[in-house]
Amino acid sequence: MGTIRMDRRLFLKSAGATAGAVAATQVGCLKYFKKGRSSAAETKEIPTTCELCPNKCSAIAVVEGGFVKKLNPNPENPKSRDMLCARGNAAIKQVYDPDRLKQPMIRVGARGEGKWKPVSWDEAFDFAAKKLSDVKGKYGPEASLWSSTEGFQEVFFKNLGLAFGSPNLVRHPTLCLASVNLAYSATFGTVPSFDLLNSKFVIMSGANRFESIITPDTMDLIGGVMERKAKLVYLDPRFTVTAAKADEWYPIKPGTDLAFILAMIHVIIAENRHSKDFVAAYTTGFDQLAEHVKQYTPEWAEKETEIPAKDITRIAREFADAGARALYYAGRRSSWYQNDFQMRRAQAILNAIVGNWDQMGGMVPNAKLPKGEFLFMPWDEPKAPRVDEVQKEFPLAAASDGVYLKLRENVLSGKPYPVKAWMVYKQDPMNSLPDQSKTLKMIEQMDFIGVIDVQMSDMAWYADVVFPESAYLERTDPVEVMPGIWPAVVYRQQVVKPIHDTKPNLEIIQGLAKRLGLGDYFDYTIEQWVDAEFKDLPIPMAAEHMKKHGVWAATGQPSYGKTLTPDHRFVTKTGKIEIFSERLQEAGYDPLPVYTAPVQPPGDRFRLILGRVGYFTHANQSNNVWLHEFMKENDLWINPKPAERMGIRDGAYVTVTSSVGSVKLKARVTEEIRPDCVFMLHGFGKKSKMQSLVYNVGASDAVILETAWDKVSGNAAFHETFVKVANA
Amino acid sequence: MAMKKKRYALVIDSRKCINCKACVVACKAENNVPIGNFRNRINEERKGEYPKLSINFEPEQCHHCAEPSCVRVCPTGASWQRKDGIVLVNYDECIGCRYCMVACPYDARYFNEEQGVVDKCTLCSHRVDKGDTPACVETCPSKVRVFGDLEDTSSRIHELLSTRRYRVKEPQTGNGPQLYYLL
Repeated sequence: MGTIRMDRRLFLKSAGATAGAVAATQVGCLKYFKKGRSSAAETKEIPTTCELCPNKCSAIAVVEGGFVKKLNPNPENPKSRDMLCARGNAAIKQVYDPDRLKQPMIRVGARGEGKWKPVSWDEAFDFAAKKLSDVKGKYGPEASLWSSTEGFQEVFFKNLGLAFGSPNLVRHPTLCLASVNLAYSATFGTVPSFDLLNSKFVIMSGANRFESIITPDTMDLIGGVMERKAKLVYLDPRFTVTAAKADEWYPIKPGTDLAFILAMIHVIIAENRHSKDFVAAYTTGFDQLAEHVKQYTPEWAEKETEIPAKDITRIAREFADAGARALYYAGRRSSWYQNDFQMRRAQAILNAIVGNWDQMGGMVPNAKLPKGEFLFMPWDEPKAPRVDEVQKEFPLAAASDGVYLKLRENVLSGKPYPVKAWMVYKQDPMNSLPDQSKTLKMIEQMDFIGVIDVQMSDMAWYADVVFPESAYLERTDPVEVMPGIWPAVVYRQQVVKPIHDTKPNLEIIQGLAKRLGLGDYFDYTIEQWVDAEFKDLPIPMAAEHMKKHGVWAATGQPSYGKTLTPDHRFVTKTGKIEIFSERLQEAGYDPLPVYTAPVQPPGDRFRLILGRVGYFTHANQSNNVWLHEFMKENDLWINPKPAERMGIRDGAYVTVTSSVGSVKLKARVTEEIRPDCVFMLHGFGKKSKMQSLVYNVGASDAVILETAWDKVSGNAAFHETFVKVANA
Repeated sequence: MAMKKKRYALVIDSRKCINCKACVVACKAENNVPIGNFRNRINEERKGEYPKLSINFEPEQCHHCAEPSCVRVCPTGASWQRKDGIVLVNYDECIGCRYCMVACPYDARYFNEEQGVVDKCTLCSHRVDKGDTPACVETCPSKVRVFGDLEDTSSRIHELLSTRRYRVKEPQTGNGPQLYYLL
């Protein structure tokens, strides 16, 4: 650092002699240069809700002369903790991105060739409606697939799919958090929040909370670790920012977290450290658990995890001693391994036996706030069964979200029936699904593909028609209730008028619905929808409040322990917290988490692991010019030991090859990763030329990731791919 | 009415920094900082061998020094200091000679190619004058920076500096830097 600065200063010093001459030529123009904003422009501050990631933080947009100048955090939302991250701040560049979709376009060349014809909205709607109707006429409405990622206007897209008659809505959860949600639901009947603001001892594995920012967890945990002296034990094959901030970091052997947790449970029960009163009053199946974990000793777990047995024992004791204020953190993206459901369930069980349920500093069931509902004309339920056969293959999974990878397999095989039209909203399956060549095959066999997005994602690049959606700062959206320990209601209102010929999703859906003969189901405005939702908010003058503040949250401290009453029934089969799950047993799954060792990469291969950094979490952020400045190209992390053995130099290009694909990217030779793993960041190597900053730069993980999923939830298993690395 | 004397400064708790870059982007938006230039940054120090490793993040920007060498060397008086300690550049007077960039011990200044002047952190004086905090302070997820008036004995930074140990960077320069890093 010091030497670099010295060099630069020396350079500038020596350049100083000539600088005067350069400067003299600039004086003339500088006379006329006035810095700063035009004072005549009117400044407005409009509260809204961020959409750069799923956290939905409250922001205040500063608008000057019709231009979004700045986004400031809105302190009124307790969940967003009075902050706006790099992504949130960079949302301005989503609006003013020169690469943005500016008008509807119809493909004129081959799919993916990038030849487009700008068309009117009428032409785009007519074209898509005709294609969708053709597919419906030939194969039935179930031959259409409607895939989307969560967003406030997603409801309209899903409703069009259903009104069209398709059961095949597929959403992002099985690429993200389906396994963790299902595991906690199976145990507690609900998915709780984690009170990191008050916990004293936190264990985190399968989550990198200081880089994958989740509100309020990231903020509460950094405060906990650095200010309130909470202890953080962190397991990760990679030395992440979270590892750097943790009290203890263990570079665990990938995929063995379940062994660590089972051994912790073993120690806690063997040493009688569990919360006996809580276990007796609120749980079922403890005795079976005690018997089941006898086999899982710390010495056994040491061989699996490479974490010393004495540390596992000590951590288990410290965890149990912290009791109600100890947390094994659940994580959010839990698409890691094929045993992910059982791993997360073991976490849930470990949390249950120390009695942290519904306690300050423990796991807390989410509080909710009421909102009104707009009553629209109902349609007939789709008649056909789902193409992914969820009910048969994944009886416990959330059928309405679908199981994405099984769905892709079935679409490719044409069984149980053909799917020939694909509508996509706010999702990029080209990058969010593993094995891009399979996704491309799925694209090839479609008669029609329509994409609604703000930008030309890789998926949009392969579409037949692209409908440009207005950016969130240009839209008013439905009201959202955010359940949590600090529940809030948030409102996203239009901050500036659309700067291009774009529409909010509702109007795009209405345009399509009208031409599909489904207009009656969507005969309302966003204002009517929102007004109906405002009506049941528990505040006077709700509409005025939400427009002025953008958020409403209950004041005061959260109330803990509401479910800790003798007559409380958990939403499970037995009405208790289910340590042993009959429901799982009946569905043919292990009723208690059983460990099977993950396959490890053979000698010449590495396990590919994924993760995020604070300024890029989703593939749609890497083309944002303000975020792109921090990382212009992704690279492959590789430990110096194998790198040296293979003659791989830092910064040199390498090829990374799996059984399904090969990519080229720069090597980052770093001590910050286990020698048996390599790591790359998500969101680069785009195929879309309208992602100009990252088009063909770096590589997309989707190209080399293999298809695998968790057996119970159907959640994708993204960390099960072994790769060969060689100098390019 | 005589205004009470002010002395603005930042106290930085680097341990809480998670390198998320929120402060850098917020500054960029607030101050129209060109692509490729930065008024603030997060220094990284990575050490050790697997598995004994450490990373330290250290946010840095203009130190708004008590005796700013940039002001001293400026041939036109464009670099100047307000009574409240904020060091600014008067763009109308800047001739772009960049002596100040050489004189700054903290590499806190950059040359704005579009406008032909040297630029730097203003501590968001336009926000501060309205009673707000600088953009980097406000947006930070982990609230690493504390902004305040050292002359105000009831301020949070006054309290922090009187109760916690801290350091300043490169004190030997005699610049009297006003970014205080908590230990």
